[in-house]
This record gives sequence, structure tokens and C-alpha cells, in this order.
Amino acid sequence: MSDNHHESFRLHSPEFNQLNKRLDRRNFLTKTSLGLGALALGSLIGNRVLGKVAGSVTHEPVTATLEEEILRAIPHFAPKAKRVVYLFMSGGPSQFETFDYKPKLAGMFGQPLPDSVRQGQRLTAMSANQSVFPMVPSAYQFSQHGESQTWISELLPHTAQVVDDLCIIKSIHSEAINHDPAITFFQTGNQLPGRPSIGSWVSYGLGSDNKNLPTFIVLVSKNAVKDQPLYSRLWGNGFLPSEHQGVQFRAGKDPVLFLDNPEGYDGKDRKEMLEYLSKLNTMQNEPYGDPEVQARISQYEMAYRMQTSVPEVMDTSDEPDEVFELYGPDSRDPGTYAANCILARKLLEKDVKFVQLYHQGWDHHGGLPAGMKKQCKDTDQATAALIKDLKRRGLLEDTLVIWGGEFGRTVYSQGKLQTNDYGRDHHPRCFTMWMAGAGVKPGISYGETDDFSYNIVKNPVHVHDFQATLMHLMGVDHERLTFRFQGRRYRLTDVQGNVVRDILS
Amino acid sequence: MIIRIILSFNVTEFIGRFHPVLVHMPVGILMLAAIFIWLAKSERFESLRSAISISLFLGMLSAIASCVTGFLLSKTDSYEEALLFKHQWFAIATALISLVIYYLHLKNRETKWVAAVMVIFVMITGHLGGSITHGSDFLTKAFSSSGNSGNSKSIPNVQETNAFSTVIKPLLDAKCIACHGPNKQKGKLRFDEPGFISKGGEDGSVIVAGNAAESAMIKRILLPKDNKDHMPPTEKPQLSKQDIELLQWWITTGAKYDLKVKELPQTDHIKSILNSLESGKTDEQVVISYFPEQTVGKAPEVAVQQLRDRGIAIVPIAQNSNYLSANFVAVESFTGKDLQLLEPVKKQLIWLKLGNMGLTDVDLEAVGKLPNLRMLFLQNTKITDQGLPQLSNLSELQYLNLGGTKVTSKGVGQLKGLKNLRQLYLFQTAITGDDLDKLRQLFSNTIIDAGGYEVPKLVSDTTVLKAPIGK
Repeated sequence: MSDNHHESFRLHSPEFNQLNKRLDRRNFLTKTSLGLGALALGSLIGNRVLGKVAGSVTHEPVTATLEEEILRAIPHFAPKAKRVVYLFMSGGPSQFETFDYKPKLAGMFGQPLPDSVRQGQRLTAMSANQSVFPMVPSAYQFSQHGESQTWISELLPHTAQVVDDLCIIKSIHSEAINHDPAITFFQTGNQLPGRPSIGSWVSYGLGSDNKNLPTFIVLVSKNAVKDQPLYSRLWGNGFLPSEHQGVQFRAGKDPVLFLDNPEGYDGKDRKEMLEYLSKLNTMQNEPYGDPEVQARISQYEMAYRMQTSVPEVMDTSDEPDEVFELYGPDSRDPGTYAANCILARKLLEKDVKFVQLYHQGWDHHGGLPAGMKKQCKDTDQATAALIKDLKRRGLLEDTLVIWGGEFGRTVYSQGKLQTNDYGRDHHPRCFTMWMAGAGVKPGISYGETDDFSYNIVKNPVHVHDFQATLMHLMGVDHERLTFRFQGRRYRLTDVQGNVVRDILS
Repeated sequence: MIIRIILSFNVTEFIGRFHPVLVHMPVGILMLAAIFIWLAKSERFESLRSAISISLFLGMLSAIASCVTGFLLSKTDSYEEALLFKHQWFAIATALISLVIYYLHLKNRETKWVAAVMVIFVMITGHLGGSITHGSDFLTKAFSSSGNSGNSKSIPNVQETNAFSTVIKPLLDAKCIACHGPNKQKGKLRFDEPGFISKGGEDGSVIVAGNAAESAMIKRILLPKDNKDHMPPTEKPQLSKQDIELLQWWITTGAKYDLKVKELPQTDHIKSILNSLESGKTDEQVVISYFPEQTVGKAPEVAVQQLRDRGIAIVPIAQNSNYLSANFVAVESFTGKDLQLLEPVKKQLIWLKLGNMGLTDVDLEAVGKLPNLRMLFLQNTKITDQGLPQLSNLSELQYLNLGGTKVTSKGVGQLKGLKNLRQLYLFQTAITGDDLDKLRQLFSNTIIDAGGYEVPKLVSDTTVLKAPIGK
């Protein structure tokens, strides 16, 4: 069945004749000077004159090229970061036991949270009916580290060693108070599902240097407590063409599902088959112009190339022992956070644009001291190792590393406060994240919270500001990367977001 | 089939590209027509009257054709919008005036004043068009280059000299005095003598000794460039970051005219800037930028397409920039010949990633011929010391990654002529210990990273929960 496919397809059957004619006329009109003149006049008058004077009357011409125009302008400026690795700590890690040092709390164990601090702000349904809100200081000690003399909790001894590479933002705030909307808000810029994830926007706007691997790859730790669910729409493409969705790589025999050839098929004529299929799809796409057909074609091709590129990149057998020692003992067990960090580094070396790791289990409504200790132990060494590994390979220079969850936690204990055990409820009004690497100032802390880490007192950074800054570092003006859907243009930061210029190097 | 080819051929772009040829016609012909109109007034040139009609007609036609082609061209590439907007509408106005003047001429009306207006419009349109292609500072460059020499002269033994006259005054001379000096005193402000500086301008004092942030001068310098109060004016040569820091330092330390540099308090940062004045280094050598400031012409499209066809990711650095980055990461069965494809884009190519390719010493010859490279990734390739000297001509190089190769300190040492090199990565090479120290001495301005990071076992790895907490 190999060599009889040179002839191009024809729509032989008579019912297509009508369609063929229509197509020819359309082509003719759009490509000849008549269409050209109309186009010229339209854009001259429409945009420049009428658009300003009588904006409400004229409707924008629906052109297929609008999106192309937007994409062609990207990158808007020279990017500092060529790729991103986003370590998402799902569940909402407590800022009290990690980065936000609050020494004054130490003497306030068990005292009620002053009303002047809370100011009647809303709480979650889980603790809103508590009669008292006893404040609780960190169970763990803090000390200063690095040249920057940054206070870091004893739970993060390895992160403390790379603190001079980090830009710690202590004043992130979000709008959502529960996991699903908060994580969706962080990932897509909107609390309701349906918008594209950050990685999808990046993939759509910037494309990839490496056509053999997806632009947006997702790794989920298998060794985390699955206290809050993750769902694939968090790395979904929303309304963007579907080749921009995040592709999850799993540990084990089948890293990417449905990628292997079916049993009993040697795959030798796969390439030819796909070429033939893509011709068919192209032909189908011509009359309908559905971008999803285009997406399907490119996904088939990507899957074919991934059949060789994925096993190659997943194979860590040629990594020296020294690397596994750097990332810690877990790193030899595929699918753990540490192993995923090694994998992330390998993917970044292959110029994958956006790698996102998820590590669940930070939702400590109760049993926080023990829970935080375990979570930090599972992630601390590998996180620090990733920074060091990227640095020595010269990759930190143009790779942006991000660490953070979807919100922080309250100063008061949820449930009964015991002498050696407590919990903390969700707190979106302030929490800590850090960035490191390309284009951000190393060794600084940005933003401040009050003595209770309840309100922000200096330099607040909204989630949209964070997203705008991330896009800025990638060379994209967040206000100009838009996509038209259901009659309006959408962007990651919706109608908000300011680049946090103070943290840019 | 042929029809298909013709249809798919991009007519718009093709027609648009005639704009640069056509534009010169209305400029010449309409100007000439105006000259004819004026000369024909005198009896000596009476005979020119008969030529007016045809020259106006041709000028009008070519003006309209220029407008159409110009409009099409503007759609094929992105130009600076504000300039383009002005150019476009001045051009349309010019074409309309040429229509009007032709009509008036046919009706035997007086046209000489309309002709004068038309000449002005032609000149403005032409100037704006030139600004789009050659840059808006094209005309004024001749003046500004001489005034730029402020800081590039070296100051020997800077700590012993007078802070104002050797550090601050040259800055003011270079960037301020043209408008605030003996020749012009905009805002009644002069910077040429200490007395005038202290006196300030029409809005009062511009310097608050000891407080740079409150000084009007610094405030206006720090305003965003698009603010109309920004100084120096946008079209004039700007102060560099280092210049501003020096000014701030001088004002913060009291704006003294009679003290030596060493008598003023200095932070480490200021000290390093001051010391850099000693060696006459300019800003470009101090600040790392992987992105050149000067512009470059467009890369030949055929060559770019060839590179893409080969699977090389070739991407413009930014919008409105012709600089390119090339990444070989997805290239299958790489051979040295692939590097030849880069030759036609050598002026534009500034970032090149060849890591993990089967690159050998022979291939470095082609890499060494890419003069504008700023970032070069050669990690995990088969290159050795023998190949490295071929890179010594890459004078712009700022980032070089040689990790995982067989190079030794001897080979790397041969690159010490690379004055701009700021980051050198030698992870997983044989260079360690003493060799590394020697290299660090040799490359005093370069951060050399050879790995060697450890994650030591920490006592706190086995933290036990302290109980009871709190009290």
C-alpha cells in the first residue's frame, strides 16, 4: 500500500461541484484588486476615522487575520525568560511556617485575633462559625540565610541555601477563598472554568523552539497527599486551538497516554499514513475553516514525533549518581516530586517552553505542624537542587522558576488549638510566592504584610499582576495577547494586571 | 493549476513593494511643477507654462500611486504606528492637493500659493517617510555623535580628582548644556557654571543638596520617556543609567563643587561605577544586555526559510527587531553543513543554541564567522581546545556555555580577548581547582560557573517537632 498516493485529492463526486464553484469565487474575490480595494478602504476609514468618531456604530470587521496580526507582533519585546518552570504547590501552603517570618506572634499564642485586623473580612464556611479565633505562631524556628540575610523557616533548609537566587514576593493576594476557584484563577486568570491556562497562552503566543515536544508539559507528583483534586482543565487550552493544551507526562511505562503504536502494528508506514490523513483533513478544512481541524492535524504530527522524543527525554538512566544525590533520595523513584524536578530540568534543556509541576497536599486545616514538615521534606531539597542544577548548566540565565500555591493560610487556628497541634484555614488576602532566574532580581524580598500576616501593608501583588509580570518576562505584553471568542476579545489578565517592575532585573 | 498559483501569489505585498521606487516620482515631479509655476511668472521663462499641465498631471498620478502602494506596504510589515499615521495622512493630503492644483490649473486659476503649500506638504511627507525607513534620528545623528563623548574618556586616578569638575560636569556638558548653557537657556536654566546650577531656572532651584529624590532635575530625568516633562527631551541623547546614578550620588552627598571624589561617601555600587571611569569603559561594557541597541537590516527571507525547512527554530528577538535567534534543538541528523545556512543571516543572528549536537572543532569555523553573536550554547558537543581559538573573533559574545565538553583551561584561556564575555559555563568539564582559579583571574569581569554545588546533609533534615510550642 505504499506508493500510489502522489496524486492529489479531487472532489470527484458531483455533489461537491457546487461547493467547488463557491470556493473559486470566494478565492477570486478576496485575492483580486476588488477585494483589495474594499479592504483598503474599510481599514482606512473604519479604524482611523469612523472608529474614533462613531465607535458604537461601526462594528469591527471580522477578519481571520486579526488573530494573525496579534501573533505576528509577538514577542513584543526581547524576552528575558525563554522558558518557565512553575512549581505549583496545590492546596495553599502556609506562609507562616515557610517564608513570612512573624516574630511578634510568638508572644501571642492563643490570643484572639483582634477585630481591628480582621475588619469583618469574610472567612470560609469551615471556620466562620468558630466562636474564637486563637492566633498561633509558627511551630518552627526561623533564621537568616545568605548574603541577603533573608528569614527562612527551618523546614526549608535547602531552599535557604539558594535564597540569594530567589525573589520572594510576600504580598501576593487572590480573590478566591476556596481551592477550585482559586487554583482556576491562578491558572487561567478567571475563577470560573473555561479560559486557557497560562501555559496555553504562552504556547499560543510564542510557540516552541522544539517541534518534537509539546510546548506546555505538566508533571504531577505521585507521592503527594491527594487532599484536593487536580483536574486536566487546569492545564486546558480553553478556547484556544487545542494543540496548546498542556500534555501530562506520567511516570511509568506509558508516560503519555495513547502514544504507543497499537499491539501488532510495527509503525513502519505511520509517517506515510499520517501524511495521507493530513491531506484529507486539509481538504476537509478548506470549506469549513475550523481551526480544530488544523489543531487535529498538528496533534497527529506531534504525537508521531513524540513517539521517539518522549522515551528519550523520560530516560534518566544516563544521569550520573551525583544528580540523584543532588535532588535527594526520592529522585530515583519516577513520578515523585524530586524525579519530576529532574525531568523538568531535562525538558527545559530540550527547550520546552512551559513546564508545570503540581504537588498536592498543602491543605492543612488540621495537623499543620506535622503536615507541613512532611510536605517541605518532600519538596525542599529537589526544589533547591533544581535551582542549582539549572544554574550550573547556564539555564537559570534564561529560565524563570516559580514556586507558589493558590492562597495562603490564616493566622488563627482552625478548630481547637492544642499546645503542639493546630490547623490554619484558607487566607487569600496575603501569601508568599517566589520567582527565580531570568529577568527577576535575585536575593530580594518584595512586599510586606502586617504583624499577623493578615493584611498587606506594602506593595501588594495581585494574581493578575503576577500573570502580567510572567508574560512580560516572556516578552509578551499581556494587554496585547488577546483571542477573540464569542464576540469579545479575551486575555489572560482579563481587564487588570500591572507588570511588577520593581522586581525586574 | 496556473490560475491557482497566480491566485495564491501575494498580490498586495508585491504591489506594495513598489512604494520605495514610486515615492520619488511625486517628490521630484510635483516640486518641479511648483518651480515651473513660479518661474513661468517671469517673461524669461514664459515658455515653461506649457510644461506645467503635463508635469502636474504626472505628479498627481504618481502621488496617488504612491499612496496606494504605500498603504499596501504598510500592511505587510509592522512600522512605528505614530510615524506611519502621520506619513499616511500627509501623503493623502499631498495627493489631494495635487488633484486640486491640477483642477485649478485646468480652470486657469492662480495656483502659485497652492503650489507653495503643496511643496511644504511634499517635504513633510518625504521627511516622515524617510524617518520610518532610516529612523527618526537619521538627520540629527551628525550632531549628536560628537556630543556623546561625555563619559568615554578615561579619568586617571578618579578618587583624587574634583568630583564636580571631573565626574559631573562632563555629563552635564554632554547631555544638558546644549539647551541649558551659554547658547540657549531653556526654562532660564544654565548648567555651565556652579553658580548658575545652584540658582536654578524659572521654576526655582533644580537641585536639593542632599536629597536627590526631591531635586527637580532628578525627578524630570526619571520621568518615563513618553512624559512631556521628561529630560533630556526624547529626541536628544539620553542619560545612561550610570550617568543618572552618578548625578544622584553627587546630589545626595550634598552637591558640593569643591570636594574630591574620595571625600564624598560612596556605596560599593557607586565605587565600582567611579572605578570604571578610570579605565574609560563605557556603559555598554558594564551593563549586560543580550540585546543590541543598534538596529540591523532585515535578514534575507529565502535564507530564513531554508533554515526553517531544515528544522532550525529561527525566531525574531522581538517585534520591530530584525535580530534573530537560532535553535538547533529539533534538528535531526545534524552535520557541519547545516551551519553554512547561517552565513546569510550572520548580521542578524545574536543568539545561537547548538547544545547537544554532534558539533566538532571543524564546525566552529563557521560559528566563528557570526560576528554579532551575544549568546552561544555549545554544551555537550564534541568540541575541544583545538576549535576554541576560532571563536576569539566573536567580540560581542557575552554568554558562552561550554559545559560537558572536553575543553581545558588552556583552550578556554585563549578566549581571554573576548572583552564582553560576562557569563562562562564550564560545568562537567575537566576544569576544576587551580585551573579554575587561574581562569577566574584571567577573566576578571566574567562570572565563571563550573558547578560543584552540593546539597549537604543537614542536621535540620531530621527535625523533631518541638513540644510544647508557644509559651
